[in-house]
Formats: sequence, structure tokens, C-alpha cells
Amino acid sequence: MNGLSPANHLLLVILMPLVGAVVAWLMGSRGQQAVRQSAAFTAVATLVAAGWLVIRFLTRPAGLSALEPFAVIEVPWLVEGMFDIRLSLGLDGLSIWLFGLSALLSLTAVLVSWDAIKEKPVGFYGLLLLLEAAMLGVFAARDIILFYVFFEFTLVPLFFLIGIWGHDERRKAAVKFFVYTLAGSVLSFLGLLAIVLWHASQTGTITFDIAGLTAGLQAHPLPMTAAGGWLQWLVFLALFAGFAVKVPIVPFHTWLPLAHVEAPTGGSVDLAGVLLKIGIYGFLRFSLPMLPEASAAAAPWLVGLGVFGILYGALVALVQTDLKRLIAYSSVSHMGYIVLGLFALEPLALEGANLQLINHGLSSAGLFALVGMIYERFHTRSIANLGGIAAKAPWLTVLFMLFTFSSIGLPGLNGFVGEFMILAGSFQRAWAGVAESFFQPYLFMAVSAVVGVVLGAWYMLWAVERVFFGPSREPPRSHSTDGHGSHAHHHGAHDDVDRCDLRWHEAAALLPLAVFVVWIGIMPQAFLSPAAPAIEQSARAAREAFADRMNLPPQDHAAGSSIAATASSLPYSPSSP
Amino acid sequence: MTTSLETFKLLAPEIALVVAALVALLGAAFAGLRSGWLVALIGIAAAMGLAGGLPAAGTSIISGPITIDGFSGYIRWTVLVAGGILALVQGGDLFRSAVVRGSGLSRGGTCEEAGTFLILLAGLSLVGIANDLVLLFIGLELISVPTYILLALKRTDARGQEASLKYFFLSLVASAVFLYAATCFYGLGGSTSLAAIGDALRSSDPRLTGMAVVLLPVAVGMAMAGAAFRMAAVPMHFYAPDVYEGTSPGNAAVLSTLPKVAGIVVLARVLGLAIQPLGIAGEIGPAAQIHLSFLWHLAAILAAITMTVGNVMALVQTNLRRLLACSSIAHAGYLLVGIAVAAAAAATRAERPFDGAAAADTMWTIGLGGMSATLLYIATYVVATAGVFAALAYLGHVWPEWSSGSGPRPPREEITDVDDLNGLSSTNPVAAFSLALFLLSLAGIPPLPGFWGKLTLATAALEVDWTSPVTFGSRRAWFVALAIILVLNAAIAAAYYLRIIAAMYFRSTKKGVQADGGLAAGVGMLVCLVLVLMITVQPKRLFTPAMRAGAAASNVLTAADEPAAADEARLVHSD
Repeated sequence: MNGLSPANHLLLVILMPLVGAVVAWLMGSRGQQAVRQSAAFTAVATLVAAGWLVIRFLTRPAGLSALEPFAVIEVPWLVEGMFDIRLSLGLDGLSIWLFGLSALLSLTAVLVSWDAIKEKPVGFYGLLLLLEAAMLGVFAARDIILFYVFFEFTLVPLFFLIGIWGHDERRKAAVKFFVYTLAGSVLSFLGLLAIVLWHASQTGTITFDIAGLTAGLQAHPLPMTAAGGWLQWLVFLALFAGFAVKVPIVPFHTWLPLAHVEAPTGGSVDLAGVLLKIGIYGFLRFSLPMLPEASAAAAPWLVGLGVFGILYGALVALVQTDLKRLIAYSSVSHMGYIVLGLFALEPLALEGANLQLINHGLSSAGLFALVGMIYERFHTRSIANLGGIAAKAPWLTVLFMLFTFSSIGLPGLNGFVGEFMILAGSFQRAWAGVAESFFQPYLFMAVSAVVGVVLGAWYMLWAVERVFFGPSREPPRSHSTDGHGSHAHHHGAHDDVDRCDLRWHEAAALLPLAVFVVWIGIMPQAFLSPAAPAIEQSARAAREAFADRMNLPPQDHAAGSSIAATASSLPYSPSSP
Repeated sequence: MTTSLETFKLLAPEIALVVAALVALLGAAFAGLRSGWLVALIGIAAAMGLAGGLPAAGTSIISGPITIDGFSGYIRWTVLVAGGILALVQGGDLFRSAVVRGSGLSRGGTCEEAGTFLILLAGLSLVGIANDLVLLFIGLELISVPTYILLALKRTDARGQEASLKYFFLSLVASAVFLYAATCFYGLGGSTSLAAIGDALRSSDPRLTGMAVVLLPVAVGMAMAGAAFRMAAVPMHFYAPDVYEGTSPGNAAVLSTLPKVAGIVVLARVLGLAIQPLGIAGEIGPAAQIHLSFLWHLAAILAAITMTVGNVMALVQTNLRRLLACSSIAHAGYLLVGIAVAAAAAATRAERPFDGAAAADTMWTIGLGGMSATLLYIATYVVATAGVFAALAYLGHVWPEWSSGSGPRPPREEITDVDDLNGLSSTNPVAAFSLALFLLSLAGIPPLPGFWGKLTLATAALEVDWTSPVTFGSRRAWFVALAIILVLNAAIAAAYYLRIIAAMYFRSTKKGVQADGGLAAGVGMLVCLVLVLMITVQPKRLFTPAMRAGAAASNVLTAADEPAAADEARLVHSD
């Protein structure tokens, strides 16, 4: 089937969920079973098609440069006056894994909702598939306005998913999530427009193509001086407003725990797994390459915010009594690592951050899915009311522990690789400056981040201990007052214990994630190298600007550095005497 | 200025509207005609047939007191399309106030209402094509007077009377204020012709300059006040919530859309006074520069205040029509952003005459898009707002308690609060979906039409004076700030639009929405739905005429006007 050109293949992958949403709608009259089966079929088909596209990307002809976009489609959408907006899609090293992750986690989201969603299944699965299309689109968009359209459009399905199928405070959570994210992203929108206008004013050509804008802005950087009106700073802050809320970077995170706790499990999986990554993707795609000087100048502050987020998220997670809220704060903490890795502006840390996007997507999606399963069985998420699940549901426990270990960075699993690279890169950055002064903030930041790792292990393992081990507890049952006496109640409890462990669809939802958790842990290079050249290209300008700023000697890192090579040189950083 | 047979030919669509109005009014009185809204639709369709396509870019036919060019053609088509939708809405608006209960519904679409509505449309269309102060004023009054009648006819309880009286008196004040502005302009120009006033204003006559310093701010301010009343912009906005609440959904639909178009036209005409006509080179005089500077400062300040006031007021409303009234105030603010941008861009252009030499120059002339953005925005706003009110008119009333069984039903109540829409997604999914789409469009969520409107407005604001740096207090800084205020307001607005959507989708209800409005309103809603989806998928269909109309209104060179400029422009387009 090589007759299918990569471009059409990409279009097919993005259109499939939309078609699937229509099919699910047509199945509406045949009941819940038909709807969810059709949704699952669509999600599987999309995953297969997307996976195949990823394989085609990885095995593309050697003649193609590593940086060349793959599967490019371009159709004019609005070419009028000063607008030249195109439906322009394509994949490259920055987006390829996130694209695949979106397809993978969408299947997970459908499968974990199998029994949980009984009301209005048509709407639920339709919106879930719509969300999938938007997520695939946001990573494939090559036009700046198209990116924004997908970026915003992800909000709409999730708003309804949270608001209709969420828990008690769902309405408040849905509106807060939407308005908070929108308030940030409209400012990003202005920033993106300013980039287009600046490019047009400098080169005389109007383009909305992201690659063209990147090249243009590197040739004609936005002014960073008072005479130029600090334009680059303004644009950086505008983009930051949207991306920081989306990530979320800590002072802007308050929508996240509420949205996660109230969202249905499927929504949480997509939210934690993919939507948070769009913020980081935005930094990588826009801020670093297009606004290198401002990124470099802001980097120390953002590293500070990232590390603050790591510690803050971890400490808040430590005192949570609600398991889902705990995982939500652990997300805040883990996104802090990614921000740290991104703005350490070291190749090793950047690659680690990019890998950690995928790692966190897998582990947090898995953990949220498992919390949802626990909630379905015991009707509580309160840690105090849970206990001894390991005896009742050994497989569920095994998977929960696997994702926990991935999350806390146990060597051999994927989380370790990402966290280690981020921390190693941060220490490289720290050592690079030691020559100048003994105490310097980067060292402090890097050490604090390591403390965060310890805290992360503490709150996760402590929660695992309380929930899965220890005395078995009967959580207060929501339907215990059914008036049939204690025998009926007891019998019901037995029923629950009997079918307590994973069911087929739950296993099917989680096993692919588990496979990747182990696979990335064992063979990280296979996942690092396809992305490395693109990351290097995207961050080079910002790194050089940073070196200029700090008067550091130029560093010459080979693109696509392997862990072994760089890690072995760790104690002797190239710039240390 | 001579009025000839030619003028009457050009006025054929308006004449068709007036003839239809006469048929409706006289037919009802003497021939027992009942289906007034059918007459209205036929009249509008005839007017559309007579109006033909938009005139080609750069052409303008001046005949007596009227001008047919890209701008007036766009306004005419907006009026006719909106008029068609609103006629459907009015026809299906079987509103019955809660106070007057009884058997049966009010008659939908009486001939009197249809006739007055057609005259209103004719007046608005005349405003669009008038190039003379007198005709402009007559057009504005032809909008106002039928509006009083519509307000008084539809609802006769105390609240309705309060609404129509309030509107009546304020409208009188606004008309008087606008008339005062018109006399000032007459005093400056010595003619009622807008072209002659403009010529005088742009000249460098020292005597005129001395007078202009005193008189122009007064004239511009008064004209702005008159326009602000019609657009429901600060400081003439406060009537809107009371009036919308005290009338029927159909009337609210008319009030929130058509007068806004009139306000835009007035401001565009006032702005046009200071812009050199096509093909005339040379600098504008100091009076015109004062004019532009005052206009953009005023419009920018009012825009910022109006957007914020409208949105913040809307946040706390629970009554649905009050909320929509506040939202319409906020949208008036967005529209004023476009006017301010157009004025500021004209000021920039006056300082740096276009020579087409530098690439940046070409861009910056193409980018004189404030007026285009306003015209695009008003079209997207009209479609979505008319759709919202069409849906409300179609839904009609609620039962306080839902009862599907037989037996006496409790009395109906009008849909007043946001809560009355609770659970609409299960009781009437089509209406709920349409409403949600219209509201998301008003909120500016991509890729719906409202997003395209905000995209053009924000782009236009960011590119004002864009070759100079953003320094504090500079013209550029003003408009960057205005763009930021605009998008933040869009985020605030999302909060209350989502509240309505949340009521429809996230809540359940015991009340039963009755959907007892006329079928016509339902059809109107579906027409709006189709238009919204069409603009979403193919924004170019709206962009092309809006760009052309905006260029005509602000006398910008467009690709078709001058071969040299066209080459430069095409260079920009194709890359």
C-alpha cells in the first residue's frame, strides 16, 4: 500500500476520527454497545494508521534530510488581502512522537470509558473523537493560524466532556478550565500575529508558514532594545501567557487540579497525556526558535519557575487526601522538570525534556486511567477510604506500580531516562558557570530539582502503600442503604471483589502504555534520535543567544548526542577548566 | 447635485422595499391582507434581485445624493440578508408577555409590523448609499421611527411601554445630537454634500483651520454620540438592557443588529471626510488632520471602555435578554476598534504619502484594514446574533413544570432567565446545538465566523503605524494596548457565553421549553446556522467583499485601481 502518499496518509489519519465521530452518531439509535464499539474501532484504526505513518517517517528514504518536513499538504484556505492562511499539514522530528502519542492515548481514553460512561454515549464518544482530531491537527499544523485554530479547538470538546460527564463540581471546573486557558491563549494569538507582521515588515512578504517565519525571524530578529520598543520581549510574554497556562507553569496552574478531579477518566487521560504537552510544544516550536534572545534572557527565570513548580507540586501532592488530585499535582511537578529541561538550554536536557513529554504522557495517562478504574470499583478516590487493593486486584496493582515507578524515575523504565537527561543537562549548565562564581543559581536549581525527585518518590510510594497495601478497607458504599439487609450488602461486596481485577478493555487500554514504558526505558536511543536534529535546530539560536548573554565560551555539541557520550563527559563539562 | 431618472434606477431596491411596505400596510387596512411577513420576504427578495452583484472594485457611481460603490453595495447586501433573516424571526416571534395570559398566542407577523420593518430596511439601505447629510439624516430617521412603532406594537404591558418610551426619548436626543453635528459640518463645508465638506476640510485654508480647531471636535464628538446610541456604545449604551428586556426576542434581534450597521456607516462617512478621494494626490490640510486625530483618539477610548463595560455588565446578568444586550454593547466596542484603526491608519497615511517604493510601504497601504475589519466583523456579528434571537423566538415560552400527561397545563411563561434554557440539549437538541454554535461564534472561538472577525480586527490594530517602534504613548502603543484589551475582553466574554451553553448542556430541568414560536423563526435559525457554517469553512466568501468595501470606504488603492499599485500588491498576495 505504498501507493498512498505520505501526505494523503496524514490527511487520512486526521480525518478518520472525524468520520468516526459521525459513525458513532449514526450508531446512536443502536445503543451504548454499538456506539462504544464503533468508537473503539475508529480509535484502533486511527492508531494503526498513525503508527504506520510514524514508521514511514522513521524509515523514510535516506535522501531526505533529517530536518525536512514529512507528508506535507498545503491547500489555500483564506488568501485575501493581507491574509495567506493555508490548510498546511506536515510532520517533523518535533511533532512526530506527540502525534503518535495523541493517537495512542485516544484509544486509551475510549477504552477506559467503556463502562464508566452510560449516559449519552453518542455525545461522549463523538466529542472524544473530535478531541482526537484536534490533537492530531495541532501537532501536524504547519500554518501559524491553523495551529492556533486547532490549539483553541481542543478546548471545546474537553469543555463539554468535563461539563457533562464530570463529577460534582463539573460545571465550575469546565468553565474555569475554558476561560483560564482562553485568556492565556488569546494573548498568544496576538503574539503570533505580531510575528507574522514583523516578518512581513522586514522581508516584504506575507507568510503564515511556521517554517518560513522561523527562518525569517532568525534572519531579522525582533528588536530587544528600548529603541525597538522591546518588541521581542512583548511577543515572548504574549506567547508565554498562552503556553504557560497550558503547561501549566506554576503560578498559572490553578485550573488544572480542578479540571482533572472533575473530568471523566477519558478526559483526564487526554488532558494529562496530550493537552498539557501542547504548551511545551509551543515553546519548542515558536518561542525558542523565533524569539531566541528573549528566550535566553527569560531562561533563568523560567528555570526558577520550573524548579519551584517541581517542589511546589510535590509538596502539595504530599498532603493530598484524594488520589486523583494527588496525581494531578504530580503532573504539575513533572511538568516542572520539563520546563527546567527546556530552559536549561543544554542539548542533553532539551532532548530529555522532549522525551519526558512522551514519558509523562504515558505514565500520567496510565495513572489517571487506573484511578478511574479504582473509582469505578470502590466509588471513592479518598486515600483514607482505600486500602489493601493489592489482594483484590493484583494485576491492577502491578500496572499501577509500573506507572508509579515510571513516574518516579526508576532506572530501567522510561521516566528514569528523561529525568536523568534533564538533571544531567541542568548540572552541565550549572558547571558551565562555576568558573565564574562559586555560588550560582543554576547549581542551586539543579540540586533542588534532585530534591524534587526524592519528594516525588515519597508521595507516590506513600500513596501506593496506603491504597494498595495495608489492611483491606471497605469503602463506604454509595448504595449501601438499599434496604435488603446485611446479607445482600455482603453479597454485593463479594461480587465486587470477584470482578475486581482488570477487565479485558481495561487491560487493552493500559498494556500498550506499559509496553512503551518499558520499551523507552530499555531502548531510549530509538526514541531520542529521530527527534534530536529537530530539537537541536529549534533550540540552537536560543542556546547561542544564552551563551552570548552569559559570556560563555561557545559550546560545540554534536547534534543528536547520545546519552552515553554526553553523560560520560558529565563531571568534566567542556567549559570547566 | 442633480436628481435624475438615473438616480431612481439606482434606488430600485429601496423603492421595492417601500412598495412592499405600502402593499403590506394598505393591504391590511383595505383588503384584509393577513400574511404580512410573506409580503416582507417577497419584497426583500425583489430588492435582492434588483440590487444585483457588488459593483467592481474602484468603481463608484455618483448620482444626485447617492453613491453606489463597493462600500454601499456591501451595506446594502448586509441589510438585505439580515433583513431576510430578521423578517423570518419577526414572523415567527409569537411572543406573549407573562402578564397578559390567556388562550392562544399573539398573532405572529401582522402586516403593520411587516410594513414598518420594511421601511426600516429601506432607511438603513439609504443610509448606506447617501452621500449627502440631508439624505443621511432622513435615512437615520427612517430607521428610528419604524423602530418606535415596532417596539410599541409588540408588547403592550407596562414593561413594554417603559422600553418603547425609553427608546423613543433617547433616540430623539441622539437624533438631535447628530443633527447638531451635521450643522457643524455644514458650517465648515458650506454644503450638505459630503464630498464638498470633505474637500473643504482637507484644504489648507487658514480661516477654516482656525474654525476647525474649535468646531471639529464638537462635530466629531456629536456625530460619535449619535452613532454610539445606535451602536449601543458607551456613553449611550445604558438603554440597551432595559429595552431588550422589555420587548420581544424578535424586536431585540432587530435592535441589536440593524442600528449597529447604521452607526458604522455614520462613522465611516465622518471618517471619509478627511481622506483624499481616489486618484488625488497631495497632503491633507491641518483641519483634516485634527479631524482624524480626534476621531481615532475618541473611538479608541470609547472602544476600550465599551468593550470592558459591556462584558463586565454581562458577567453578572441572569436575565437572558439583558445578558445579550450587554453582549451587544461589548460587540459595539469591538466594532469601534475597527473605526479607530481606520482613522489612525488614515492619519498615518496622511503623514507618509504612499509612493509604493518600499516593500513596507506597499504592505502598509494594503494593511489599511480597519474599515474592512469592521465590515467583516459586523457581518459575522449580525449572523450570529440574529441566530441567537431566532432560536429564542422559536423556543418561545416555557412551562414552569414539565408535564407530558394530559390534564390542564400550567400557564406558559416567557423565557426570561438563563436558567429557563436548562436542559435544552435534551428537550430540543437542534436548537441547543445552533445556539451553542452562535454563542461560540460570538465568543470568537476558531474557526467560527466570530474568530475571523476578531482575527481581522486584531491584525488591523497591530499593524497601525507598524514601521515605528512600540514606545510609550506612541500611536502604535495605543493600538497594541487596544488589541490586548480586545482579546482579553474576548476571554471575559467567553465566561458568560459559556454560562448559557452550560445551562443548556450541563443542567437538567423540570421546566419544559415549549418551542411554540412560529416555524418561520426556526427557519431563520437554520438559515443563520447554514451561514455560520459556510463562513467557517469558506471565510473567503465574506473576506473578499468586506475587503473591497473597506477599501472603497477608506479610499485605499486596491489591486484593480492602479496597475502599478496592483503589481506591488499582487507581489504581496502571491508569496
